[in-house]
Amino acid sequence: MRRHAGVGAIQKQRLQQEKYREKGSEIQENQFQQMSKQLEVFRENLEEFATKHKNEIKKNAQFRRQFQEMCAAIGVDPLASGKGFWSVLGIGDFYYEIGVQIVEVCLATNYKNGGLITLEELRTRLIAARGKAKIHQEITNEDLLVAVKKLRIFGNGFTVVPMGKGKWLVQSVPGELNLDQTLVLQKASGLGTAWVSLSILIDDLGWTETRAQNALNHMVKEGLAWVDTQDTKETLYWFPSMFSECVAA
Amino acid sequence: MADIVWPWQYNFPPFFTIQPHTETRAKQLEAWQQLITEYLKTTKQSTIDIRESQNSPLFNNTEINRKLSQEAILTILDDMAKTGRAAPVDKSKNVWEVYWHSLDEWGNLIYNWACNNGMNNSVCTLFELREGDNTADQEFHGLDMNVLVKALKNLEVKGRCELMEFDDNQGVKFF
Repeated sequence: MRRHAGVGAIQKQRLQQEKYREKGSEIQENQFQQMSKQLEVFRENLEEFATKHKNEIKKNAQFRRQFQEMCAAIGVDPLASGKGFWSVLGIGDFYYEIGVQIVEVCLATNYKNGGLITLEELRTRLIAARGKAKIHQEITNEDLLVAVKKLRIFGNGFTVVPMGKGKWLVQSVPGELNLDQTLVLQKASGLGTAWVSLSILIDDLGWTETRAQNALNHMVKEGLAWVDTQDTKETLYWFPSMFSECVAA
Repeated sequence: MADIVWPWQYNFPPFFTIQPHTETRAKQLEAWQQLITEYLKTTKQSTIDIRESQNSPLFNNTEINRKLSQEAILTILDDMAKTGRAAPVDKSKNVWEVYWHSLDEWGNLIYNWACNNGMNNSVCTLFELREGDNTADQEFHGLDMNVLVKALKNLEVKGRCELMEFDDNQGVKFF
């Protein structure tokens, strides 16, 4: 007798697999629904909480940070939604206001720092600009970071560059810093000298001369670094944004 | 030089190296021009001799061990000349006059003073203008003779005054 190639068996197997898949997605669906329901409840509570403590959130820096963390944990961005419930709270407005002030400070200091400013200086200037009347509105570094991140919607004009050890730089010129340039800035910040040199990058970061020179040249070209050829040993590259007298000026 | 308020750049070592990047250099030159003008104004000077310049604290910050090279000074003064804020006195461009007011402005200052003090149609000597008691509170008091004469000549062209010489003294008549 001739046997066929077992088409029936293959079909049967396929049918089984399909059933498994169906069941699987059904379970997934269930779990998903449950989760979203939970999140929905949480969101509602959070919104209720936010309305109730609106003023507190605006005034108290620590409270504000914790609120931000809570929102972040469940994927709610109180700044993202322009319409609806969250806009009523005016929490977004608080950060938009700071955002505008950040832009102002960055533009005002651009002439001397080339568009790179430490978060510390930014904060000092921003608080000074806000005036004494609002001194109770203490602005923390976290607030600034949240606000700067919002500014990203304008393209890569405003970026936060982590320097490590709780230090940050805010870059307010178009054009992204690449990794090497970030490392150079981190080095200068870490040394606390406001300058770096070819030999430092080669010795401390283990870079080749070409790599180090490329990074430095690029930063000079971007107007971020100043060249100093009068050191006895080698050319130094200075960052006005980290030079204390420039910061204080 | 206790009176001089040094800008932050004065203690920023690369300020004493002419910057290769165009935009940064523009900022640097502008800051230098302001500093030079301010310095000369405070010390009541109007000329810079590039050959001797590095003895001056203006171009030599001993504290950070940085000085501005003669070449760099020339670059800055050349740039100032473009906007009429400085002019070379000799052909080799070693000695420069720096105008902390443009010659026009100087002329106007002097003319206004003359008008306000009823000096129209009367003659006063340049010595009086520079060192007389009447001008002690004026900015042009003690102004470099050459600059003063140039400013007055400028004014003469506009028909506001006439320079005259008697004996070995120079005078000016305002209209």
